[in-house]
Amino acid sequence: MVVDRIQTQEFIQHKFARYYKENSGNIEPPSSLEKREYAFLLFRDKTMLRHKGFKNAEGFRAFLLRSAPSDVYYSSAYFEKPEAEMDAKGWLGADLIFDIDADHIPTQCNKQHDIWVCKNCRATGHGTKPEKCPKCGVQKFTEINWLCDTCLESAKEETIKLLEVLEHDFGFSVNEMKLAFSGHRGYHVHIEDHAVRTLDSIARKEIVDYMAGIGLKITAYNIEGGYGPSFDDLGWSGRIAKGAYDFLLNATQEQLENIALKRKPAARILGQKDKILESWKRKGPWRMLRDVRPDSWTKILRQGVERQSVKIDTVVTTDVHRLIRLAKTLHGETGLKKVELAANEIERFDPLKSALAFTHGTVSLEVAGAPQFRLGDTTYGPFKNQKVELPAAAAMFLLCKGVAGALEESVSVQ
Amino acid sequence: MQKLDLKITELDNPDYSRILGRAEKRIEEAILNAIVTDQTHNIEIELLSFPIAIMMVATTKDAFLKRRYALAEAKRVYNILKQETSKQKLTEVAGCFNWKIKFARHEGSNAQTSAADFTVHFTNYLKNAGGFHEDKWKLVNRTMLNGEVYITKDEAARLLQEEVRTHVERKLETKIDIKLPQTVEKEVERLKQLFNTRRGKIRQEEMPAESVLEAFPPCMRQLYNMAPTGRHISHVGRFALTSFLLNSGMPIESIIEHFRPTSDFSEKMTRYQVEHIAGGRGSRTKYIPPRCDTLQTHGICPGMDEICRVHHPLAYYKRKLRDMKAQAPAPTP
Repeated sequence: MVVDRIQTQEFIQHKFARYYKENSGNIEPPSSLEKREYAFLLFRDKTMLRHKGFKNAEGFRAFLLRSAPSDVYYSSAYFEKPEAEMDAKGWLGADLIFDIDADHIPTQCNKQHDIWVCKNCRATGHGTKPEKCPKCGVQKFTEINWLCDTCLESAKEETIKLLEVLEHDFGFSVNEMKLAFSGHRGYHVHIEDHAVRTLDSIARKEIVDYMAGIGLKITAYNIEGGYGPSFDDLGWSGRIAKGAYDFLLNATQEQLENIALKRKPAARILGQKDKILESWKRKGPWRMLRDVRPDSWTKILRQGVERQSVKIDTVVTTDVHRLIRLAKTLHGETGLKKVELAANEIERFDPLKSALAFTHGTVSLEVAGAPQFRLGDTTYGPFKNQKVELPAAAAMFLLCKGVAGALEESVSVQ
Repeated sequence: MQKLDLKITELDNPDYSRILGRAEKRIEEAILNAIVTDQTHNIEIELLSFPIAIMMVATTKDAFLKRRYALAEAKRVYNILKQETSKQKLTEVAGCFNWKIKFARHEGSNAQTSAADFTVHFTNYLKNAGGFHEDKWKLVNRTMLNGEVYITKDEAARLLQEEVRTHVERKLETKIDIKLPQTVEKEVERLKQLFNTRRGKIRQEEMPAESVLEAFPPCMRQLYNMAPTGRHISHVGRFALTSFLLNSGMPIESIIEHFRPTSDFSEKMTRYQVEHIAGGRGSRTKYIPPRCDTLQTHGICPGMDEICRVHHPLAYYKRKLRDMKAQAPAPTP
């Protein structure tokens, strides 16, 4: 089949429609499907269709086929009347959800691959968007957020930390934690356990603070008296000990001074580093060095908290009405699908292989500009104002990112 | 309640006078002392007077009185539980509220586990400790293993107090369509009067009609100053500022005007949102700003000043107003 000079948007929608036609049978609506609200971002006018409800999976799938949306969401909440106005829905409870997104994690790549364009003066730049345009001062930007292996790897590391705390501290089993790659730069974790459903946002905020180490009182330790956190301690205390140990392991004079340690105690600590680290396995270094005061240790322990804290999106977890992307549906910004995986498979999981949705044929396109990216085993680009023919997944990725226009599609006969 | 139906109409029967008397006393104690005394030596009267007191308070339809009564009953339970020497008894009470509670097993060298008497599931813990402000109640400062939070006996009693408080508050929301005997009605009227004389005191502490910028806490001052410069304010920030301004007495129109210079200002949208937060739309809930720790979570707290020992921006505002009033020179005639 040959498609001639298609409008890019129509082309994307056409491909999404075909995906849903071929795959809708495999797309499972969420649990308690009749109590959830659904929302669809439509290609047409980019409007969000909200307050939808379905009685059964067939009705849901039929709607999916009919509307072929850009994005599909459902509510983490359960409602008496999901289709009613927000205030009349009758909130019954909500799953406990966590969102880890590279946006919220400081990464090695520093998001240099991201591009922002000022909507007013068209000024552009790389990295996280500025607060206001350095040229004209306006605060409206178009953003193109890229995905690189560094971003995805850091999101994965945070997710592993999250799962560890959920399992060890909160006592959720591997089977209770539903884990998924979001289809863009992060992971979602859902817990549908009945015990958590009726937690209000104040209670959920406490869970957020636990994950992020917010409000943690380090001063509660009696460091002066020679007591600090130790490796064997339960929960956060043990974590602080490990985090602070890791921090000291590679700390430099500059880093110690950066966390507001004075020059002299910093030098003393570095001079005795091996002994300090060794003492950690016993009673801890708290009273080892006479000229290192408890507040210096407290500052180091703070770094332990920082290292061990889980970088989750705080708003998502506290919001008891959140809409969340449905598994196996497509992400409108990437053309990748949200994929579920078992919590114990995350280490080996490669999102850029597992989330590919368009695996047949090639597309010719004109790329305005794109940094390098990887999908599956292949690395593509960088591209700059050029015509290329790419496998469908890579082409759809560039089209969805809005950096290319579609010229022609060729589908190999199977 | 239905089981009691028969008795309710006969409440003025002299046989029930001791029960009715104790019910009245419970409410009176709540109003005057904010705590109900423990009279368990008269176990029958103590048990039977409780639902009657509940019914009497419920018929007042006074939300403030209901809150005060629920708290007073909860404090009564706390005092009893605190003195209870049997750990088993405490777990039985917790069991009535479906808590997952166990005797603590001592693991590791952690100070929090060795001092603990019980472990309780974190969901039971959070549902009750969520409103407590001290650092020690924050989940992040607790020892938790496998979903179980380590607590002392006294802490268990305190958490149960909260459980009882919400339980009583829920009971007080039950719809009551029964006509009370006249003598009981009269008594309810007397208690209402009594409460009203105290209510005046609280009214005094209420806020002035106009917003006083000088009394804003640092977070609100920062957000308030950001809006006209056109700097971006997060969603949580906008909600916090708007609900704060409304509660401080600023009129809706002034708030909309204040947001006008923001880069993405839309009058229609802003009006809709401000009116919604003011309780003029949809749910008719009048919102209050988030508490300090929530603002901290979302990165809105710019750092504290000396009044920030309070836990809520509105509490800060009230206190600062009071301080300002105390310092202000007396008005000259």
